[in-house]
Formats: sequence, structure tokens, C-alpha cells
Amino acid sequence: MLDFTLNGRPCRTEAPVHWTVLDLLRDGLALHGTKYGCGEGACGTCTVLLDGEPVRACLVLAAHVRGRAVTTVEGLEQDGEADRLQSAFLHAGAVQCGFCTPGMLLAARALLAADPSPTEERVREALAGNLCRCTGYTKIVKAVLAASVAR
Amino acid sequence: MRLPPFRLEEPQSVPEAVEILARPDGEARVIAGGTALVPTLRLGLVRPARLVSLHGIPELRSLRVEGQVLEVGATVTMAALARHYATRGDWPLLARAAASVATPAVRSTATVGGNLCYGEAASDLAPALLCLEAQVRVGDSVGERVVPITEFFKGFYETAVEAGEIATGLRVPAVPREARTGYVRFCPRSAEDKPLVGVAALLVQDAARRVTELRLGLGGAAPTPMRARGAEAAARGQELTDAAIGAVAEAAASEAEPLSDLMGSADYRREMIRVWVRRLLAALRDGRAIP
Repeated sequence: MLDFTLNGRPCRTEAPVHWTVLDLLRDGLALHGTKYGCGEGACGTCTVLLDGEPVRACLVLAAHVRGRAVTTVEGLEQDGEADRLQSAFLHAGAVQCGFCTPGMLLAARALLAADPSPTEERVREALAGNLCRCTGYTKIVKAVLAASVAR
Repeated sequence: MRLPPFRLEEPQSVPEAVEILARPDGEARVIAGGTALVPTLRLGLVRPARLVSLHGIPELRSLRVEGQVLEVGATVTMAALARHYATRGDWPLLARAAASVATPAVRSTATVGGNLCYGEAASDLAPALLCLEAQVRVGDSVGERVVPITEFFKGFYETAVEAGEIATGLRVPAVPREARTGYVRFCPRSAEDKPLVGVAALLVQDAARRVTELRLGLGGAAPTPMRARGAEAAARGQELTDAAIGAVAEAAASEAEPLSDLMGSADYRREMIRVWVRRLLAALRDGRAIP
């Protein structure tokens, strides 16, 4: 039995021990927002938060989230509405094909939790390793800055 | 793509972990962060019957200063090491090296022990630890032994950790007060990659600006991380003029034994060692920002 907190709610489930967090989310819990990209931690699209820190869901064993808190892209919305960061992505046109978006959102969410007013350089560092094959980085960085608290 | 099946053991203490590892019950591998092991499993490069997780062993997560020594548990993550006040304040070389590893979402998971035991020649941490003359704690069923980092890397992806042993942590002695330190890494493709070469240096100069001590750690320069002892000797007693730095960099390049791989040829690596040793030493000499 695997008990952990998923998007703010207690979750009790079972998963084969060789499953990763990504297997658990997509196939065990049918949360398909978190994407499978490279499977080796290089592309960033499976990024979720574990106790508030960004991790690669494809690299972390499901068993290792026992007792901890996982946040996925499904956990960002507030009262059924896009949150501030998601809205900023929409307004900035920071979503093209959308495949990298969940990972970008969570990497950015972790940054803004630690530093609500980051510099552009900090934003770029925080998003490093989240690849956008549409190459829409400029608008993604703008969106994160727009969602930050003005200095 | 699923990982091939394995059994997962979750011991609560180092002795229990060692006991489980030793059971004649199929090949066992230690897993901590998994950032190196999980892709290796997925690619089928290793097929252990059992994984022994170190997650449930609280003492391995400890990071603290004892006397003048930074004691780093094996499952301390790169992120935790890089942001700890003691590392940032008194071991800035180590903080910089840890903050250079891969990307934020990997640093949050990848562990110090895993980085060392993977035995990667282009480890970011290893050149810094070689300069700091760290010691690796290695535990087995009897107790613990301490391996100087300079004797830890034995060969290509091979370390001093024997079957049945677990690296449990690191001891990092104080940096000499008057020392200047720095780490540079050269990535020809993208900054998230492992470096083609990495260079760490610890430099002590006397009042006449002559080198009393230089320690030079290289990553990607040989089948294992290495100290460039010849280059260090070439610097001793010298004033670090551009010409002297050039000679030290040349010595480092000539004692390196780099491998050729998809990232770059041995010749290219050797040339980049020369360039980056020179740039790092010039920056340390001048008190400039590390390039």
C-alpha cells in the first residue's frame, strides 16, 4: 500500500515496485497531464513537484513518494480556474504544441515559490533542462516573469 | 517504457542494508536518487534482481559541520549540498560544483553518494572533492573504513567500493583560509550536459605572490577523475605570470589521458584542458570572476 499526498489530497493506492512516479501517475491514477518524453531525465516534460521541489517523474521510483507530497499540473488550478501562472502562459502565448507545458509550469511554480520576484536569468536557470521543441522559450520566460511579483 | 521488474528492499539502517546486499538472492544494486541507475535500468545495461533503497536511512541524509569538517551523508542531494549555509560560506568550491550538476529537477534528486559511486569520469563533484582532499566513508557489515578521495576512483566507472559495501558519506576538511578556489566546466553542446572537461583548482600564494600550494582536479581528462600532480608541481614556487600559467596548463594537458567518445576526441579534450586550466588559474590569480 502506498500512501502519499497528491495535489493536496491524501492518496492511497498500490503500484508495482518497478513503477516510476510517471507510471503511477499516468497508468495507475489516469492523470495524463504529466508527459512521457525521453525516459532518462533529459527533456523535463515529466517534471512534477515532490515536497515542493521539481523532480523528474520518470526517474523517481513510485515507492519513494511514500509519505511525501506530489504536485502535478492537474494540481495547479484554483477552484476550477487556471491559476496565475497558467493564465500568464495563456496570455503570453507560451503554449504551442503544449507537450513541454506541464513540466515548464511546475519548474516555474517551484521557482516562484522560492523566489516570487526572480530575475530573467533566474527564470532561465530554473527552466534549464525543460526542452521546448517548438523553441518557444522567449514567451515561456516572459510568461513566468509576468506571473512573478513586481520588484 | 516500463523498467524491467525487480524486487525493492527498503532497509532502515546501514547494517541492515549491508546485510540485505550480502544475501545470496540474486544481483543487488544500491539505489538512492536513481538519476543514474534508473536510465541504466531502462536501457537494460544492468539487470539486477533486487534494488536496495537508501531512502529509509535517516542518518545518510545528514549534512553538518563537525569541528572544521563538513560531514555529508551519502543521500544528501546536490541541491541540498549547494544551498546549505555552511557549504556556501566555507566550501564555496563544493557549492559551485554541486550547483553545476545537470538541471534543477535532477539536482533535487541526485545524491552525493550516487555521484561518487557511479564513477563517472566527467563528474562535476569529483574534481572539487579531489582539490578539497575529501574522504569517503565506506560501510560494511563489520564497520566503516575511510578512503581518501584520491584513492577512490579505480578505473573506468570503477570505484573503491567493493561488493557488499555502501558509501555512507563524505568528510570534507576545512579549506585553507588564504586559499582561492574555483571550478569551471566546458560543455560544447548544452549547459545541462555532463562536461566535456571540468577543472577545479585550489590556489595558495604567499605575500610575494608565489605559489605555495596548487591543487588541480580534472574531470573528463582520463578514465577517472584525476589530480594533475605534474601541473601542481610545475606551479610550486612560481609567480603566476601568463607564461607560468601557460606552462602549468601545458603540464596538465600532457599528463591527462583522455578518452575519445561521442562528445569529443581525446585530442580535443586535451586541448580544452589546456584552455580551461589556463583561464581558471588566470581568474584566480587576478581575483576575477570565474569564467
